[in-house]
Amino acid sequence: MKKTVLKLGAAVLAASLALAGCADPDSGKTKVTFLSWTGEEQMKPILEAFHAANEDIKIEASYSPPVAEYIQTLQTRVLSGTAPDVFVIAAENKTNLLDGGHVIDLSGEPYISKVESFNTETYGRDGKAYGLSVSSWAAGYMYNEDLLKQVGYDTFPTTWDDFLVMSKKLQDAGIKPFLESVDQMPTTLSAWIGAKTNTMDGKLDDKIFSGETTFAAEWTPYLEQYNRIYTEGLVSKDVVGLDGDMIRDEFANGRVAVMNAGPWVINALRESSPDLKFKFALVPGVDGGEPFAAGAASPGYAINSKSDETKQAAAKKFLEFLASKEGVQIFHEQTRDVTVTDDFEPEVDPAFEPLASSIRNGQLYLPMIAWQRSEDILNVEAVAQIQRMIQGEITPAEVAKAMDTKLAGS
Amino acid sequence: MALLTMDAAKKSATSGTSNKPRRGLARSTSGGWKQVAGNQAFLIPAIVVFIFLFVIPLCQTFYWSLTDFTGYSTDANFIGLSNYKIIMTDPSMLAGLGFTLLFGVGTTLLVTLLAIPLAVQLNKVFFGRNLVRSLWFFPAIPSMAILGLVWRYILSPLESGVLNSTLHDLFGINALPWLSDNTLARLSVIMVGVWGATGWHAVLYTAYLQSIPGDIYEVARVDGANARQQFFGLTLPLLTPAIVVSTFLLMTGGLKVFDLPYTLTNGGPGFATYTLTQSIVVSGVSQGRYGLASALAVLFTIAVALLAFGQLALTKMIERKFV
Repeated sequence: MKKTVLKLGAAVLAASLALAGCADPDSGKTKVTFLSWTGEEQMKPILEAFHAANEDIKIEASYSPPVAEYIQTLQTRVLSGTAPDVFVIAAENKTNLLDGGHVIDLSGEPYISKVESFNTETYGRDGKAYGLSVSSWAAGYMYNEDLLKQVGYDTFPTTWDDFLVMSKKLQDAGIKPFLESVDQMPTTLSAWIGAKTNTMDGKLDDKIFSGETTFAAEWTPYLEQYNRIYTEGLVSKDVVGLDGDMIRDEFANGRVAVMNAGPWVINALRESSPDLKFKFALVPGVDGGEPFAAGAASPGYAINSKSDETKQAAAKKFLEFLASKEGVQIFHEQTRDVTVTDDFEPEVDPAFEPLASSIRNGQLYLPMIAWQRSEDILNVEAVAQIQRMIQGEITPAEVAKAMDTKLAGS
Repeated sequence: MALLTMDAAKKSATSGTSNKPRRGLARSTSGGWKQVAGNQAFLIPAIVVFIFLFVIPLCQTFYWSLTDFTGYSTDANFIGLSNYKIIMTDPSMLAGLGFTLLFGVGTTLLVTLLAIPLAVQLNKVFFGRNLVRSLWFFPAIPSMAILGLVWRYILSPLESGVLNSTLHDLFGINALPWLSDNTLARLSVIMVGVWGATGWHAVLYTAYLQSIPGDIYEVARVDGANARQQFFGLTLPLLTPAIVVSTFLLMTGGLKVFDLPYTLTNGGPGFATYTLTQSIVVSGVSQGRYGLASALAVLFTIAVALLAFGQLALTKMIERKFV
């Protein structure tokens, strides 16, 4: 009887050990949790390549779609003390993550020096780097080459005045000249402010947020110029009820000559309208400013400051791989993002080339990410007030004044 | 004479369908205080759920409303009533108040006005009745967020928008700015809300209609009451309990609305269809101002409670008058 019990016990123990071995093939590896902004399908090949190159580390990835859901998921996990070891720092959570000390300083890490300084500075503060951003995006104007040819244009205007003249010719020819979605900060305004900031060595927002100048003083002239296209009747005020997808459909069907757009519409347009000839252009300059693009560094990978040292060391290896030539190549193949590391040249759609150079040179601007605090508060206010301006309810000066009031109260 | 008979029939119907136990009878047959305590014990799970899912979160929200809680750290500083002061002094914080009230009251009235006659029709016997009931009930099945996205395309202000192109093809009407004009945008959100809720509430009314005995209508008909007299003299008063339930649900749901305006108009143009709930979500989640969002939520809860209790008192008063 005693022997039987012993045999049974030994069998159970052996089975348990065998099962334990089967259940966790990654035992002994350093496990790094990762909340991905990029979708699972696109991230999987990158993780597989990393695991193949780093057999002692296991990345346990979870996924949350951008933007609001990702921000909320990460916020909840940070608050509950279950934040992943690696996560994404974006325009929407940058201030809170840095203020709360939730991310470690990556300055001095060799992979940080591989990316454009524009990208490192975007997710940095006081000369320190807190996020690894390996790509950027840019938005400008996309135009229908055939429709522009109908009114005698082979090249795109480079000044706002010339653009308005072209719009009038298109309108007279029965062609809808331009549509821009204003459910977010208009591309046109972002580009103009970016062009101005560029000439000031990037100090415009510093001056506004330090109180040296105001939105009213700096933004009003640009808002007035922007409003001309609506007050002169060249573009319908109905844009306040349109989103980017609706405008893209209009463009795809040849019902509008120019729209604001980024590289994310290229594949959809090539599929839906294979015969459509289109090209990107920088937003025409205004008041003597240079043509410019709206855009920003893509969200960066950050490491949790609360993770233990072993996990942080493994996380740094993961970031090192993400910035490596192999990692960036897979990332580019999966996402088609324009990457900005020094040892990989991404393929760019020929139509997008006019904006790609802005990405390579870091000549991009997005107010939401350039503002130093209260980014979303100001953005929500600005978008709503710009919509009211387009409807004719308030003046451009009142838009800028409302932003100053919001900044003062936040 | 007809109305007198209907009054009698109505009383007979209400007393016949009443299940209220008489206090004395309940006590004598219940087996004393032990039995009463035993019965009360069944309330404990509901009370526990209420405490954990309502009272504790509400207390927590009130506490956070007195702090500068950002949602990223529990190290929040006590700042007194500063958040409440911001709400009272910053007009954009209350930008959603007007439309929230308009949506709550508008959908409650319109859905009630449409759902009752619809329920009366759906309660009649006709070929394909179940199919018609299902079709009307269908909008209640998908989430309002999905319906909002679908209707955004239908109501596109462009000439190529589904509704605009249909109206142009059928009647030669020029494109209407459904979502780009303040008034039309507000109207559009309310109409989609009404479309989504009418069928569900009609089914609710249908259930109540089925509990009304048919013989009282028989008596009324014999007595010479026409269809209009039957509706206003019998159906409507006997539906008062259903109206109380339906309008209460509509009003509280309407005041809390978020998903429909968010997906249909994103609160625009400007702040035309902005709601208080959107303000709470945006302030808290997007802007990391949980303290401020909590203060807004506390004030909103109090306002909704006052409105809901006021509405309940009013409808109870009407119920007592008619039933």
